[in-house]
Amino acid sequence: MGVPIFITAVTNCCWIGADNCVILGILGTDLSWISKVQVNHPAVLRRAQQVQARRTVKKEWQAAWLLKAVTFIDLTTLSGDDTSSNVQRLCYKAKYPIREDLLKALNMHDKDITTAAVCVYPARVCDAVRALKAAGCNIPVASVATGFPAGQTHLKTRLEEIRLAVEDGATEIDVVINRSLVLTGQWEALYDEIRQFRKACGEAHLKTILATGELGSLTNVYKASMIAMMAGSDFIKTSTGKETVNATFPVAIVMLRAIRDFFWKTGNKIGFKPAGGIRSAKDALAWLSLIKEELGDEWLKPELFRIGASTLLSDIERQIYHHVTGRYAAYHDLPMS
Amino acid sequence: MAAATRTAPRAREIFTTLEYGPAPESHACALAWLDTQDRHLGHYVNGKWLKPERRNSVPCQDPITGENLASCLQAQAEDVAAAVEAARTALENWSTLPGARRAQHLTRLAKMIQKHQRLLWTLESLVTGRAVREVRDRDVPLAQQLLQYHAVQAHTQEEALAGWEPMGVIGLIVPPTFSFLEMMWRICPALAVGCTVVVLVPPASPAPLLLAQLAGELGSFPGILNMISGPTSLGPVLASQPGVQKVAFCGAVEEGRTLRRTLAGQGLELSLALGAESLLLLTEAADVDSAVEGVVDATWSDRSQGGLRLLIQESVWDETMTRLQARMGRLRVGRGLDGAVDMGARGAAARDLAQRYVHEAQSQGAQVFQAGDVPSDSPFYPPTLISDLPPASPCAQTEVPWPLVVASPFRTAKEALAVANGTPRGGSASVWSERLGQALELGYRLRMGIVWINAHGLRDPAVPTGGCKESGSSWHGGPDGLYEYLRPSGTPARQPSLSENLNYDTFGLAVPSTLPAGPETGPSSAPPYGLFVGGRFQAPGARSSRPIQDSHGNLHGYVAEGGAKDIRGAVEAAHQAAPGWVGQSPGARAALLGALAAALERRESALAARLERHGVELSVRRLRAWGARAQAQGHTLQVAELRGPVLRLREPLGVLAIVCPDEWPLLAFVSLLAPALAHGNTVVLVPSGTCPIPALEVCQDVATLLPAGLVNVVTGDRDHLTRCLALHQDVQALWYFGSVQGSQFVEWASAGNLKPVWVNRGLPRAWDQDAEGAGPELGLRAAQTKALWLPMGD
Repeated sequence: MGVPIFITAVTNCCWIGADNCVILGILGTDLSWISKVQVNHPAVLRRAQQVQARRTVKKEWQAAWLLKAVTFIDLTTLSGDDTSSNVQRLCYKAKYPIREDLLKALNMHDKDITTAAVCVYPARVCDAVRALKAAGCNIPVASVATGFPAGQTHLKTRLEEIRLAVEDGATEIDVVINRSLVLTGQWEALYDEIRQFRKACGEAHLKTILATGELGSLTNVYKASMIAMMAGSDFIKTSTGKETVNATFPVAIVMLRAIRDFFWKTGNKIGFKPAGGIRSAKDALAWLSLIKEELGDEWLKPELFRIGASTLLSDIERQIYHHVTGRYAAYHDLPMS
Repeated sequence: MAAATRTAPRAREIFTTLEYGPAPESHACALAWLDTQDRHLGHYVNGKWLKPERRNSVPCQDPITGENLASCLQAQAEDVAAAVEAARTALENWSTLPGARRAQHLTRLAKMIQKHQRLLWTLESLVTGRAVREVRDRDVPLAQQLLQYHAVQAHTQEEALAGWEPMGVIGLIVPPTFSFLEMMWRICPALAVGCTVVVLVPPASPAPLLLAQLAGELGSFPGILNMISGPTSLGPVLASQPGVQKVAFCGAVEEGRTLRRTLAGQGLELSLALGAESLLLLTEAADVDSAVEGVVDATWSDRSQGGLRLLIQESVWDETMTRLQARMGRLRVGRGLDGAVDMGARGAAARDLAQRYVHEAQSQGAQVFQAGDVPSDSPFYPPTLISDLPPASPCAQTEVPWPLVVASPFRTAKEALAVANGTPRGGSASVWSERLGQALELGYRLRMGIVWINAHGLRDPAVPTGGCKESGSSWHGGPDGLYEYLRPSGTPARQPSLSENLNYDTFGLAVPSTLPAGPETGPSSAPPYGLFVGGRFQAPGARSSRPIQDSHGNLHGYVAEGGAKDIRGAVEAAHQAAPGWVGQSPGARAALLGALAAALERRESALAARLERHGVELSVRRLRAWGARAQAQGHTLQVAELRGPVLRLREPLGVLAIVCPDEWPLLAFVSLLAPALAHGNTVVLVPSGTCPIPALEVCQDVATLLPAGLVNVVTGDRDHLTRCLALHQDVQALWYFGSVQGSQFVEWASAGNLKPVWVNRGLPRAWDQDAEGAGPELGLRAAQTKALWLPMGD
């Protein structure tokens, strides 16, 4: 059964490059559905507004959800002034995200709660790998690559960047897409580029940053999401955190719907990573319930959901502190990252 | 520092399951407020609680736990009388205040609500069982916006609404399932224009009483808003109180029909807003995921009171059903006061109604899909999707109750329109299509009061909300909402003209036979003989004639004696002409009216020989004036929080029947005909009974100038023709100028298809005065409003 479908797929998808039609074979022969896709902007905005107001968790539910959120965090530092010392500090925080006594109070100390990954610039991958090894844990190191954040460098250097980061020990690569290809409608070229990123990653996971703030419309966000998934991304990620508009709910809704459509059509579950602007514990809870509502519980695990954030963790710790003690924490009550 | 002061035993478990927990909203303040009343609620009249002795009371219960929250007194007739008396007293002062003062008072009430909003939303959610999120985030803010919007309208009233005066005391009847917001939609415009209000709220609904208390505690003008708690059956008692000028009712269609019949001939205005079913039309060009959210908004969000009819284009049927069912699985049903539920409970009556409908649908072969996280205990009903319901089954005809969605497929947009317009309901609908042309086409052609494009259930104080057909033709919000409580200055107040012994079964049933009555003294040039139907003069079905006498009592001539079959033919002809006439631009209509005016001018000398010259001249002017006025129809509204416009369209009523008065045989005929035609209606007229000849003479010009069937004139026995028109289900509106009994009959009979009627109750009208003969009232009544929401964004 599978073979004839595959063959028809190859013959029909020349616009994308016949080599890469494994996914397309599953998707079937008809690709016109991508170009027909229409996303209604105002309706998505309304849904985004509602979804935040419709769910809330309180008390121990809130505490448990927040701890779960910790395990989704890609603890990130992406600054020009990063050095090995602050990367090292970050890695220890990743290993010990919440004060031990707070976890004990919640009877969660034996759950090995760490953040999902540490995310740094390529030049800091070595530092991070070393620090995590020293801390005795196997938290993956994620590296941004491909001319982050703008992606406006030569393809050759972008690919080389991926290879070097993988060599240094990064097991997850956050690549940025070439926005100009989206804005000029060169979907085939975009697909080819991401395929090459995929190859360069080897065993490492590929997270594709769509930089949705620069794609122009929600319809483009949907199409770019779909192309990125078809090209073999393990995750699609909203933004770099460096654009003016970062992870917003409307954009997320469109990406999540694309992930769901992709799953329905191919049976493959692709991960989702919002990044940029998620700072408060309340935000984190809203994101969790958004995933739960749009994709369901099976997406609520670190293999399929990440939150890219740097300051979020300390706010979550503060909320846990308040939940456990009934008091608001002073600045010095919680260790810095 | 010891951290472990509080523990969370379940955190471990929740960490793995990531389930939602209870998120209860405290209702302590609602209970505390009920305590201030000793858990014993009465009525709120004239700024004070009214708790008369020796009355029945009903318990007010928490719909979920069944816990008794308070006992509520049931009103009797004398309590209603006391409330109306208070409203009448308050009216004297309130209606004569400058608009700015009323505006100030409404603004103060808005602020009062803001100060006590928590109490209001917890009380409403506690008692009705609706999700607190909806009450808190939507109803309460909207209530404040309504007050603020109408405060602005009151401020500009003297200028913007010159020539209109407040009607007086308004009686408002609200059914049990409606939220306090429905009441606010109606009391805000009434208070703004200077009316005072008596609301008959359903028993055991404390939120309106709380609102009345908040209004009362503002101190000044205590009697403008009075709440009486009692069953809907007190409605006629409220209506019959002297001083009540208008009754506004919202609720079930059948109750509205009954009320229409009961109040026939009582001399008061009745506005009906009936039914709660909505329609969603999903085309293949839609953003299906967003449309599915539209379905959730429409039915499963505790936003509307009714169910939804869902029309899905066949090519996206499977995809839509998959998505819809997946979405339903994530809905949460639970206690309304829980902050994380989509839907609360609506009490046993609503649940039973839904259950009955589902059982019946199942027995007729429908597929029923239910899903969602629903507590197993009894008061809840799960979100329900019904498909494959045979269109001809009895179930498919009845109104879909909350929280049901009945889905059916359609093949083409044209078919969708036929299905959507093929029901007696005309409330609200949404169209989902990303193709602009298709969306607008559907939006314009749906015969509904409100149409949303790619959205569902948006409301705003500035946008008129209402319906057509059996959904009732009353409006609230926007400019249309204000006119509901205004009448042209100088209109005589209500005079009860009820004739108890009018027999509806026999009124106008038989036509007295006519015999030759002597020599004719009419003009030598014989006037046209026959009924003017479908563009030509035809012999009447009865093949008999009726004599017409001149002012001296001499036989002037004969006109055709029209009957039921002639009315049927005339209405058919009018329906056939309707699409063509609606399709004409206002400019083209004006041109044709102008041509008719010119033709009338040529006949002036001949007509003036028998009629007053003044009347003929005026008739010519009126034709021209209405043609010009119809050019400026409809406008765009700007709505807060919505990018994009809302179009307020003025659409023709359809086939309008007009029974002209006996006086001013030409002028009244033309004065009524001109606005009707200018607004795109096609008409069936019954001319003056005593002097029908001039109208027939005008028809000679109509025959050559206007499309066939646009104007149809049937002469004959007025009572008989009135009966035929009033009982005709396919006549969309009826204007009656004649006797007291005729008016009463028309009001009674209009309950059949709930057509809007305008009757004179036997009172003469000064057709030669511009205010009454060509005033804005005619324009208002000659067309209906439609609000078309066009959200934009990319």
